[in-house]
Amino acid sequence: MTTITTQTITFNVFRFNAETDYLPHYKTIEMEVTSEEVVLDILNRIKWDVDGSFSYRRSCRHGICGACAIKVNGKGVLACKERMNDLIELFGTELTLEPLSIKRAVKDMIIDKEDFWKKHEQVKPYLIDEIDEHPESENLVTPKEEAQLLEADYCIQCGLCHYSCPSLENNESYIGPAAFAAAYRFNADVRDKATLDRLDIVNAPDQGVWDCVKCFECQEVCPKEVNPIEKITKLHNQVFENGVAINNVATRHAVGFAHSIKKHGLLDEAELVRYSEGTVPMLMKHGKVGFKMFKVGKVVMPWNMPKSDKLDEVKALIKSSSTVKF
Amino acid sequence: MSIPIYTYDAVIVGSGLAGSAAARELKQAGKNVAVITKLHPLRSHSGAAQGGINAALSDVDSIELHEFDTVKGADYLADQDAVELMCQKAPETIRWAERMGAAFSRTDDGKIAQRPFGGQSSPRACFAKDRTGLTLLQTIYEQALRVGVDFIDEWYAADIIYEDGKVSGVVAFNIRNQEKAIFNAKAVMFATGGYARAFKISSNAHANTGDGLSIVARHGLPLEDMEFVQFHPSGLSGSGILISEAARGEGGKLLNSEGERFMERYAPNKLELASRDVVARAIINEIREGRGVGPRKDAVYIDLTHLGKEKIMERLPELRDLAITFLGLDMIKEPILISATAHYSMGGIPVDIDGHVRKNNDALVEGFYAAGECACVSVHGANRLGANSVLEALLFGRHVGQSMVNDIETLYLREAEQSDADTMIAEMERILTNNGKETVPGLRNELQQSMTDNAGVFRTEETLSKQVEIVKELRKRFENIRIDDKSKIFNTDLQEAIELGHMLDYALFIVESALARKESRGAHYREDFTTRDDEAFMKHTMAYMDANGEISLDYMAVTPGKFEPQERTY
Ligand SMILES: Cc1cc2nc3c(=O)[nH]c(=O)nc-3n(C[C@H](O)[C@H](O)[C@H](O)COP(=O)(O)OP(=O)(O)OC[C@H]3O[C@@H](n4cnc5c(N)ncnc54)[C@H](O)[C@@H]3O)c2cc1C
Ligand code: SF4
Ligand code: SF4
Ligand code: FES
Repeated sequence: MTTITTQTITFNVFRFNAETDYLPHYKTIEMEVTSEEVVLDILNRIKWDVDGSFSYRRSCRHGICGACAIKVNGKGVLACKERMNDLIELFGTELTLEPLSIKRAVKDMIIDKEDFWKKHEQVKPYLIDEIDEHPESENLVTPKEEAQLLEADYCIQCGLCHYSCPSLENNESYIGPAAFAAAYRFNADVRDKATLDRLDIVNAPDQGVWDCVKCFECQEVCPKEVNPIEKITKLHNQVFENGVAINNVATRHAVGFAHSIKKHGLLDEAELVRYSEGTVPMLMKHGKVGFKMFKVGKVVMPWNMPKSDKLDEVKALIKSSSTVKF
Repeated sequence: MSIPIYTYDAVIVGSGLAGSAAARELKQAGKNVAVITKLHPLRSHSGAAQGGINAALSDVDSIELHEFDTVKGADYLADQDAVELMCQKAPETIRWAERMGAAFSRTDDGKIAQRPFGGQSSPRACFAKDRTGLTLLQTIYEQALRVGVDFIDEWYAADIIYEDGKVSGVVAFNIRNQEKAIFNAKAVMFATGGYARAFKISSNAHANTGDGLSIVARHGLPLEDMEFVQFHPSGLSGSGILISEAARGEGGKLLNSEGERFMERYAPNKLELASRDVVARAIINEIREGRGVGPRKDAVYIDLTHLGKEKIMERLPELRDLAITFLGLDMIKEPILISATAHYSMGGIPVDIDGHVRKNNDALVEGFYAAGECACVSVHGANRLGANSVLEALLFGRHVGQSMVNDIETLYLREAEQSDADTMIAEMERILTNNGKETVPGLRNELQQSMTDNAGVFRTEETLSKQVEIVKELRKRFENIRIDDKSKIFNTDLQEAIELGHMLDYALFIVESALARKESRGAHYREDFTTRDDEAFMKHTMAYMDANGEISLDYMAVTPGKFEPQERTY
């Protein structure tokens, strides 16, 4: 960058104060934005130059503490790592700044994240083993074993996936992508001794991994490439491999998954949900989600099915779930 | 309305590596402990550490070498008993973190891998890719959670209860709704992190406003070695965001506007790998003499293009990503723009080797402890070595936790009273109702800009005296502020104002201490006194603030040890 360029951008900023406002409103602010800036610079300038009462969370500004996640034109971003120029290229010169979840907003960009942290704690997100408090040597872990974590330890708890997940939006007991990634992170760790405990949690109906509708939203939005849906699929496998599968809607879902693959050679989301729950309950329970998925192009018509690029994953799942007889 | 008083054995302020490690020790020993933190624990700045954590683990290394490198790096101002303790306990500490779950990078035979770092005789930095702090912070927080530590997050600690040489609690408010509370305890620990946010160009988190230091200093307690602020050579131009030493370690070349590899003039042998203070000064000098580059001519190039795409993607992916995000420059294709950035705070709350806060050179405060970057124990002296500070935070955090466990047996609980919250309430009231003309961002910007200009990499009598006046003037203007937000919920306007008040107070400690130290040592470089003066200044600064906000200076002896001072060359 040898020169700094500037553009005029119109921001529609979500404003809400749970103490004084009955309803939120949007404030329009016009600003000159330079090619050097990231979204956090804009939030700072709104607070520092326009209105000191504007509030948001931030700390590290290195994209590593996870505090600053918000939505711009509906797209989940880490404010300190999202370049303004990229957003302008994507959306043009009118941008709407909103909190991750409007229904959880308490003050402007700040939301109540209690549900997020509760879900996190629910999966026992710590290595479970007797800890040697004064060790003379470390556990030996080969680079290959270490690589099994599949970067799940890179999650910075920003909540972007959690508050973009349609399953969670419809079912508050669903544990959600970030917490599942954490469950996987410890289950994949050769040093951990609580795989079965965690599988009981992630295998339980309603809250568990089987309620994932595989929309890939969590994969798309994650700023750290943690890829939660990949971890969820791994947890599916672990459930079968460890023989803890039970015949319920949940596991039928996996068998449905296998069925769908066999039939089409690839994954048909709509077919899958129908197989596990029956058509009528599906429409009642997932109608909204299904429609949303359809809208964003996540439900693929059978004649339009893309080739799965995760074929190995899929094959492994077919193999492990086909040993279960329902 | 009365303010609730909660009672604990121990209360800790700060939940980074230091605070969380102490809390876990206390909880495991069956003590009733609470951790107050203005951020969710996982947002603490410890998580941003990239490069590594030191321990002499390997056969080719030794604890004595680690000690020597640390003392030499410190320009002999470190207390050698504390350095010994740290280096001796480092291997156990790393292995303990590993046993708790830290995801270290490994060697082929499964051991913890280590990489070379500046100023070290052996590859000593254990690491987890380029996110060492993240795995450590997650691990220690998770294990503290596992044993049931009570984290009270998004609460702002505004004051301590200090009377008759004893601390008996913390006064705090809930950032969510301004609910106030007194946390009454037998033992209180501060682990509030660094203070480099007083500078404009800084690698530090927005949260690193050094609150803990001013809270302590306002009670007339001393701050030690505040003049020693480390400037890292490679912060991204404009923001100061950190590009780790690894970039130079892998072979990055520094170039000025004439395309000259200028380190050939400043450090002909070590070139870009000379110590941090030497490289930082060289960069600033090039810029001052008009050979800077970039749109503002306030940077130099670091060129990594010769490494090739493969090596950059393998070794420096996170750094490449940062430069693309913040500069729009891809280091695979083009050189990127860097300059010196305020990075680490060597000074802080003076403590003895077991973390007891000092009342003065001879006496300790009862029931009060500190550890991590906010404390000065002092293992870093005038300049800390890369990968020694996360070690300090984790190791001394734990060690001080243990020392609290022992002390609590004999400490008594002095019961708190409503009036203990008066100072905090008055501070909040004043800021909320003051109807002046000055704004917080305005004053803060003036403070940060002037600190970078006058108390930065280069300092002189003239710039420092000027800065003393500027800070005093800003403090006066601070009396005349007005904030926009008068509401109770997440009033970050109020919080930023309180934080600015803290920054203004400890900034004066930095400049007054720097003004009096008429020598150059480690990170403190005086253009009017360019050499180290062991005769006059081989001693720690102990600075005190009186009720009128004036600073007075005293000095304290350095604890010697097996290493005699030598000239520091690399
Ligand atoms: C970009 C960067 C990279 C780094 N890389 C390395 C490295 O590779 N190796 C290395 O050794 N060191 C590194 N460091 C330095 C190292 O990370 C820090 O020194 C260390 O993590 C400090 O830990 P801490 O526990 O003392 O404080 P922190 O982790 O900063 O925690 C401070 C805590 O105090 C709380 N707090 C502060 N004020 C208040 C208040 N008023 N009320 C309530 N709570 C409060 C905060 O919420 C936070 O929880 C790096 C630093 C930076 C900036
Ligand atoms: S793939 Fe599953 S977990 Fe991820 S967002 Fe979609 S429903 Fe949620
Ligand atoms: S998985 Fe990714 S998006 Fe989800 S919380 Fe972790 S870092 Fe954020
Ligand atoms: S401020 Fe920490 S991730 Fe953005």
